[in-house]
Amino acid sequence: MRILVIGAGQVGTTIVEALHEEHSIAVVDTDPDRLSALSYRYDVMTLEGNGASRRTLREAGIADCDLVIACTSRDEVNIVAGILAERLAPSARTIIRTRNVEYLEIWHERQLDVDFVISSELETANAIARIIGLPAARQTDVFADGQVIMVEFDVPPDAPVGETIGRKLRDAVIPANSKVASVIRGDRMIVPRGDESVEPGDRVIVIGSPQAARDWGRILGGERSRTDDVVVFGAGDTGVAVARVLLDQGARVRIVEPDEERAREVAEELPGARVFNATGLDADFIERERIGSAEAAIFTMRSDERNLYAATLAKLHGVRFTVAVVAEPASVAVLERAGVDVAVNPRMVTAEEIVRFAHDPRIRQLAMLEGDRFEILDIVVRADSELVGIPFRELPMTGSLIGAIVRGDSAIFPHGDDRLAPGDRAIIFAEAARVHQVEQAL
Amino acid sequence: MIARVALTRRAIRPGRLGVDAAAALHLVATFVGYLSGAFLLPAAVALGYGEPVWPFLAAGGITLVTGVAVGRLTGGRQRVGLREGFLVVSLTWLLVPAFGAIPYLLADEAQLSNPIDAYFESMSGFTATGATALIDIEALDRSLVMWRQFSQWLGGMGIVVLAIAILPRLRVGGRQLLQSELAGPTEMERLTTTIRETARRLWFLYVGLTALMILVLAIIGWSGLDGAMTPFDAVAHAFSGIAIGGFSPRNDSIAAFGAATQWAIVVFIAIAGVNFLRLYRLFVQRQPGAVTRDEEFRLYLALLAAGSGLMLLELVAGGFFAGEEAVRHAVVQAVSIMTTTGFASADYTEWSALAGMTLLVLMFVGASAGSTGGSIKVVRHLLMMRITRRELEQTVHREAVVPIRLNGVVVDERALRSVITFIALYLLILAIGAVGLVVDARRAAVEIASFDAIGAAAACLGNVGPAFGFAGPFGSYEPFSDLSTGILAGLMWLGRLEIIPVAVLLTRGYWRR
Repeated sequence: MRILVIGAGQVGTTIVEALHEEHSIAVVDTDPDRLSALSYRYDVMTLEGNGASRRTLREAGIADCDLVIACTSRDEVNIVAGILAERLAPSARTIIRTRNVEYLEIWHERQLDVDFVISSELETANAIARIIGLPAARQTDVFADGQVIMVEFDVPPDAPVGETIGRKLRDAVIPANSKVASVIRGDRMIVPRGDESVEPGDRVIVIGSPQAARDWGRILGGERSRTDDVVVFGAGDTGVAVARVLLDQGARVRIVEPDEERAREVAEELPGARVFNATGLDADFIERERIGSAEAAIFTMRSDERNLYAATLAKLHGVRFTVAVVAEPASVAVLERAGVDVAVNPRMVTAEEIVRFAHDPRIRQLAMLEGDRFEILDIVVRADSELVGIPFRELPMTGSLIGAIVRGDSAIFPHGDDRLAPGDRAIIFAEAARVHQVEQAL
Repeated sequence: MIARVALTRRAIRPGRLGVDAAAALHLVATFVGYLSGAFLLPAAVALGYGEPVWPFLAAGGITLVTGVAVGRLTGGRQRVGLREGFLVVSLTWLLVPAFGAIPYLLADEAQLSNPIDAYFESMSGFTATGATALIDIEALDRSLVMWRQFSQWLGGMGIVVLAIAILPRLRVGGRQLLQSELAGPTEMERLTTTIRETARRLWFLYVGLTALMILVLAIIGWSGLDGAMTPFDAVAHAFSGIAIGGFSPRNDSIAAFGAATQWAIVVFIAIAGVNFLRLYRLFVQRQPGAVTRDEEFRLYLALLAAGSGLMLLELVAGGFFAGEEAVRHAVVQAVSIMTTTGFASADYTEWSALAGMTLLVLMFVGASAGSTGGSIKVVRHLLMMRITRRELEQTVHREAVVPIRLNGVVVDERALRSVITFIALYLLILAIGAVGLVVDARRAAVEIASFDAIGAAAACLGNVGPAFGFAGPFGSYEPFSDLSTGILAGLMWLGRLEIIPVAVLLTRGYWRR
């Protein structure tokens, strides 16, 4: 597949990184330094120029492309590039990135003629809300319009051994409509056969219904089944998007914003939230407003260092769970090592979403887990697939697992006697190396 | 280069004031000139009753000549802007009652032969207050009585609103003018794109409601439900009722009528106390939600109910009335005083001190913004409550940012400040007025209790009308000295314009460039 990537920033680079081995990629950017850095590391064609210019796009060979990804940091450039791509390469699919949720709405109303629009802020907000909404959850993805959900849980080291934890999986009590897709212990990844077990300190990946995911959260996270006292530091676009999503879920949200005018704007925009004109670096304020009693704090300030400082301060005051939104890819590891529970990089989230779309056209969604080692596939089963009609217990696959089937409008969480039917959407957890094999088999 | 242009501009500007006083005067003169037409109605009544017509024709002539003359003198190519608007409105409301008082003086009416008393009566009319300097209203000519009632009706919706609605090609920034008459703390919402069209629709509704009230009262009279209600009374009470004025041709106000009439009048004044822009949406555009979901309307109803309930409790507990009579007298008095109308179905000055206190407090409530009523107005109380709540919250949570909303829409901080300023000024002026009355009463050897002095000041500043003591609902302001009468007329003027447009004129910054 020929792919044209417009924008060689963090998002563009991450996309190239994920796709360069299997596809032929051309990258357009205005900054020659970025382009040369990219071309030294990956085998891609680069072209210096304005992505919103027709001449540049033609020069980059847009007419022969199968997929055009416009992911610069400027919305308007992306939109113009997307519109031009629809004209210059009618057969190609186009994906554009936007930071403004309004453009997303316009696209949903079919007023914007591109195949896919992704908003960094909204994706990040959703990711964080999912992390917050499910205690102990590290990363979640939603498939089939929310009917199937995949969650990665940290099993606390001090988790009580009982009916679920520490017992062989074939005997363990596992919430209905869910499956353990994988157990990660240290650097080792364990395929969860019946004689394996989930132990304290493990990381487990679960596929199941939203209810089952909540049940898992309850088992692993203790009493607290939902978070409803959240403090958001920083009322930028991401902060507001997170607050809005959390408010929609019925959480009590406090927002802390140092800029007076912005604080007022946000207070007017979000009547449900309590807004404070203060900074998260002010220990007095944290003490006075009892921020420590919050169940979770989210840090979306512009600077990673300030986020780290504020998160550490919040932890000191007793906040149980901290999430930081960071700008630099390297900051994710730094902040998590320093004690922030989860660090999220919006550009990574965005790139992941775009890569998911870029895979097999039949794959509607695809999550990248554990770096690149595992992928979640969402595949429509062909009528001539060799696996149709065979009971699940007899399926030959190893290293991959069918977590759920979406048949018609309902999700099925298959047991040994269920069979695949043509037209089913199968949500599959697979090792990256086997993705190709799975795609062929189905 | 720029400096030279600025210098030239400064040089060509007329006068040394920052306000184009000539343009403002020109517009006031235009309004006054058109007022002359209003004298035709009482003239016609005089003709019908065989009373002297000439006082009205003469008053009309004087008004017309003055208006045209001043208009000529000040005419030019000036335009009235935001600044001039304050001057225009203030002067208009000062001068129109003066011209409106001419018939009282010319008609050889002994009770109003004193020019101050005549001006007081006229000011009480145009500002729709309802306080009277007359002792025996029924002794007046029918035409003079009707002129009293009609002046309330003209002033109720606003002289300037009327002028904008009907005058041809009035090239003014009407919004500013309209805003200071149809006052309220928040930006006036528009019914249509142009101010002129909005003003027209308001008057259309005003006329419609008045016609309906005339009809209802007349039917009560004709059908024999209430023999005392003559067609003349129907028109007279509709004029002062919809205007939330409170003048009555009868000496004992609406106590002269039966229960059916009193109930009908109460319903109409309660409706007239609602924001007319919202009434228009309800009656003409058929959007009931515009009224029922309005927070001010809900509080208005709740306060009317609470006031009536409290009065009922006191009337029953005090053994003054029982049964339907108690309910009626409680509701009529509470609604009439709270909306700042001033009709009375009984002499409440004879009731308990607690009843009097309740009514005094109700005088400070007022009707809704954008209605024909006066006083502080319900929406300001609503916002003041929210401001107070926010202030208390912020003493604990210092950094909390709490926007204040009205009907879900954030209210501008400036508007909130103006609410606080208004209430502070209102109480300050009330205090000054009340003290002034007491001091002057001592000078003129008039006997007045301090509660009654406060009541009189509150009744005039709030455009309510009847107060307590000798100035009660069946009494008169006649015992006050000339100076006190002047003070009270000034309070009515300030209250009708909601103080700010007048107060602005007293600042130095207003007159400076």
